[in-house]
Amino acid sequence: MTSGRILHIQRLSTEDGPGIRTTVFFKGCPLHCTWCHNPESISTQLQTQWFAVRCISCLACVDACPKSCITRTETGLVIDRDTCDACGECVDACPSGAREMLGKTMTVDELLAELLKDRAFFEKSGGGITLSGGEPTLQPEFAEALLMKLKEAGVSTAVDTCGLTSQHTLDRLLSYIDLVLFDIKILDPQLHQRYTGASNQQILENLAYIHSYLQRQPRQVDLWIRTPLIPEATDTDDNLAAIGGLLSEHFSASISRWELCAFNNLCRDQYTRLGLEWSYASTPLMSPAEVRHCEQVARSAFIYPERVLATGATRLDGSIADSIAN
Amino acid sequence: MTTNVCAQPRYSIKTPTNLSPRIQWLRDYFFQGVHRAWNNEYTSWTTGTHWDFQYNELSFYIVPETYTFLQTFRSSFSQVAHPVTLHPDFWKWSLPERRAWFNREVMVHCLPKEILPFDLLAGGRFNIMTSACLTQKETRERDKLVYGSKGSRAAMLWFHNHGYGNAGATSGHLIPDYGRIIHEGWKAVHAELVSTYAALSQNDKNGKKGAQLRAMMTAATMARDLAAEYSKECQALAQQEIEPQRQQELLEMANILARVPWEPANSFWEAVQSLWLTHMLVMADENYPGPGDSFGRLDQFLYPLWEKSIAEGMDPEFGKEILKCFWVHCNTAYDGLIRTGGNQGITAGYGQLLTISGMGAGGKDMSNDLTYVLLDVIDEMSPILEPKPNVRLHRGSPEKLLDRVVEMIASSQGSPFLLNFDERSMAGMMLEAKISGAEQLINKDNVFDYAPVGCLENTMAGNDRSGTVDANLNLLKAVELALTGGYDLAPFVDPLTGKADPPTRWGANTGDPTQFNSWQQFWEAYEAQTRHIIRRIVDLYEQSEAIRARFAPTPYLSCLVKGCAHTGMDVTEGGAELGYVTIEAVTYATTVDSLLAIKYLVFDQKVCTMAELVQALKDNWAGHEVLQARALHKAPKYGRDDDVADALATQVMELWAGETWKYKTRSTKRQYRPGMLSWNYWVADSFILPASPDGRPRGKFLSNALCPSNGADVNGPTANVNSVGKVLGGKAANGQGGWEDYLNLLPNGGSHTMTFSPSMLRDTEHRQKFKAFLKGYLENGGSALQVNLVDADLLRDAQAHPENYRHLLVRVTGYNAYFTSIGRELQNEIIARESHQMR
Repeated sequence: MTSGRILHIQRLSTEDGPGIRTTVFFKGCPLHCTWCHNPESISTQLQTQWFAVRCISCLACVDACPKSCITRTETGLVIDRDTCDACGECVDACPSGAREMLGKTMTVDELLAELLKDRAFFEKSGGGITLSGGEPTLQPEFAEALLMKLKEAGVSTAVDTCGLTSQHTLDRLLSYIDLVLFDIKILDPQLHQRYTGASNQQILENLAYIHSYLQRQPRQVDLWIRTPLIPEATDTDDNLAAIGGLLSEHFSASISRWELCAFNNLCRDQYTRLGLEWSYASTPLMSPAEVRHCEQVARSAFIYPERVLATGATRLDGSIADSIAN
Repeated sequence: MTTNVCAQPRYSIKTPTNLSPRIQWLRDYFFQGVHRAWNNEYTSWTTGTHWDFQYNELSFYIVPETYTFLQTFRSSFSQVAHPVTLHPDFWKWSLPERRAWFNREVMVHCLPKEILPFDLLAGGRFNIMTSACLTQKETRERDKLVYGSKGSRAAMLWFHNHGYGNAGATSGHLIPDYGRIIHEGWKAVHAELVSTYAALSQNDKNGKKGAQLRAMMTAATMARDLAAEYSKECQALAQQEIEPQRQQELLEMANILARVPWEPANSFWEAVQSLWLTHMLVMADENYPGPGDSFGRLDQFLYPLWEKSIAEGMDPEFGKEILKCFWVHCNTAYDGLIRTGGNQGITAGYGQLLTISGMGAGGKDMSNDLTYVLLDVIDEMSPILEPKPNVRLHRGSPEKLLDRVVEMIASSQGSPFLLNFDERSMAGMMLEAKISGAEQLINKDNVFDYAPVGCLENTMAGNDRSGTVDANLNLLKAVELALTGGYDLAPFVDPLTGKADPPTRWGANTGDPTQFNSWQQFWEAYEAQTRHIIRRIVDLYEQSEAIRARFAPTPYLSCLVKGCAHTGMDVTEGGAELGYVTIEAVTYATTVDSLLAIKYLVFDQKVCTMAELVQALKDNWAGHEVLQARALHKAPKYGRDDDVADALATQVMELWAGETWKYKTRSTKRQYRPGMLSWNYWVADSFILPASPDGRPRGKFLSNALCPSNGADVNGPTANVNSVGKVLGGKAANGQGGWEDYLNLLPNGGSHTMTFSPSMLRDTEHRQKFKAFLKGYLENGGSALQVNLVDADLLRDAQAHPENYRHLLVRVTGYNAYFTSIGRELQNEIIARESHQMR
């Protein structure tokens, strides 16, 4: 039975495609975006993390670790990540849920049983399942088997991809997908390399590939482009205008929505828990005006301005109504 | 950080809109509270005898906050009571005749009749405390049953102090047959009584049955005679009125009151006037305003007259004004305690619940123009506590209705109404009919005419007293008793004497649990203790039920409940065609989670022994923090859509619900049925019940009604919903067909409150998603849902700046409360509820 490594299942997800969805976050991503909102999903390996607020200082984890890699310091429990092989002994020993394992292996059938529980909500809302991550295409066999079963069960599917994958993988998956959520972050190849650790050449080729697949595909498959709005990295007028230009020129026939996802700093603590520095740790949320400006730039650049949509939380500096974009 | 003393509210709270000057004035006037020249505070009335009393404490046994004041209330109302000149034959009559005459005398002849400026409806001053009308001998007999060491009060206190819950024969909580009064008038009721009485044998006429019918005949003229007095007042006011339009209104009111409620209503205005007077007199008859005296399907029984008046040229806006006057009148129920507390007696909902929309025969949707008019009225008057609206949804609900509902939730912190779900609710009523053999009265051809009362308790209309909230049982007590073999885990200490109870085996002898070798053994002990606590609450309730049946008749209300005239029995004697008493289980999730924790810690994972667990609970977890953490964080919990945990939850549900059906009241032959409301007991009783195996220390709130324990629903709202639906019974196999496929073990229904972040409804797209969530709820969830749409930040801001949030209504459990008027503990509890953010 095919199995894969997932990070998390998010039910009643309303930001990853139409309707009410359950989103499966896969573990492992080929990109290393400096702003990544989901740092736990980057590594394909199992990892453990520690929640200081949940810890009751019983030190059961220290005693349980077979490699003695947890030490008590003045600032809390520190884990030697070079030695830790995420065996999970500390997680089992922890009584309060302060030690958590990031990543678990599930078979397709186990996962399917979990995902189908909200079927009534999918059916009433035009929603379904979204594979996200991490990068779902990094586990092509697992993703394919899962998507196939979901289609057999009559559930609508979406795949949220960073676009960096092989065309062979795309060939395997596309016939089971109803919606592709495709990230275009930065158009300038150098900047893309700098901010994400990889060139965007393959990504853009894949977008073209998907576009041509969609154009000859009689089945209704949607394509949404997603661009994270990262202050000074992706939210520049130049970048948004360039992306808008490219989409208009080559792919507009396939694209039913272009989402601009406002920068989110709620993942700050996630970095801390993984023992990582985050260069955006002190970057505030964008203001509603900044988000509206980006939306304006994108709308001017894209041939179908009404398909451009900004989402996400913004700074609270007025009434609640102002605090939410659009 | 500086403090901004005149901080602007950070959030905008729903305010009323589109009020005409008339309604604006009446609404503002109401909220002036104690500063009003007119109010509806209690007046007390006596026969003038030295043994007389007014306050019926049985109605308040389910309100533990009042226990210390029971005697004070009785003597205070007696002291301030005005004497009423009695009819010369008064003491020759039977008790129901005395009560009927006395209440009519007070309402019609003793109280002033006033019409508020601009008001379109007559009827105030219904908060009365009237004489029990007992003879000295009856008083002695009654008091012996109430006060003795084996009396109802001592029994009730014992029950409460030992953590079982509470029970008492409470007023209200039913839907009187208002539709009949509107369409046939009181004269039809009176005529039926006259002919029923005439048909009695002389023997019966001389007996109890004859007395009851004579009492009801007297009561059946009360509304007519009172309306006539108000009609005179309107005439008099009209003569003094200089403003011609108002003068015209007063003359029209005088005409209306000369006809209704005695005659059938001929116009919408007459219908609403008829309804209000008839309803307010129910509250007067029971001496307790609005505890669940509910209207039923208002948009159905008022619709023919709405349609007629519109066809005859009534401006719909004027129709809305009539309704808005009705709204203001409903709120005057709170004047009873107008000088109490900081909010002019307005604390929580009295529960005059009205129902709109819903299914009809053949699954047809019954929404009509009036449904939408009523929604407008709710929206425009909101926030205001009474009457409490309930919108019934079903698979066939029109998109237009759902869109309006979601839009109103989005714009008013989620508070404007309860949502009731027909398919699940009707399944419960059908189960009730089957188990209790009431299929003649509840069946597939009429079950859709059910409606909830009070907070959300489903009943039939016009012939059903289901005693909802009369018996409130802490299921958790059975876990405690199973852990000790029948003893209290911690002895009750009398706060006055400091004396502790000697160790006594109150519960069943289920053996020493430390000797149990298997989970099954523990489960069997729990089963036995559940049987024990249900038997105990049935015994306790019987005491006050029997006293009420004998000493506290409500002949006026009996006229409005089908069955009473026919049998010649008062509604308090079990005269209603459908008579149930609902045991409302409290602490459900805490109980399930405790059982799951025992199974996990002691039997499955063997983390600790039973003896260690019991010791930890006795120590209130102090010194056992590691074990407590495991119980809290590692043991499975209900509410996560975890099939294994929910299977045990279902077992718990089937067990207690099944036991409940085994009993009937001995004095009145009312069948017990299960429900889950749990009002606010989950807060107060958490200080009585000791630490529980789910990791909860004493004083941490218990779970609320059907809801998972606070914070336990880590898999989000849909998982929470699925768990709730599963434990109610889910659906029959292949249940994709009609509503008959739904199952519901709780005919009364269960309270389910969910809190969402406002961002979940931030734009059209997300409102559509929320609408779909409600449709999914209808498929998978419970019988009733209450939505709070607030985030923790807003509530904290409201705690810090109450002056900015006077009108913030939040749903607590089946009722609304002004957030700033509830206690800090409950405020914190509401803040702590998982706020569900759609992501």
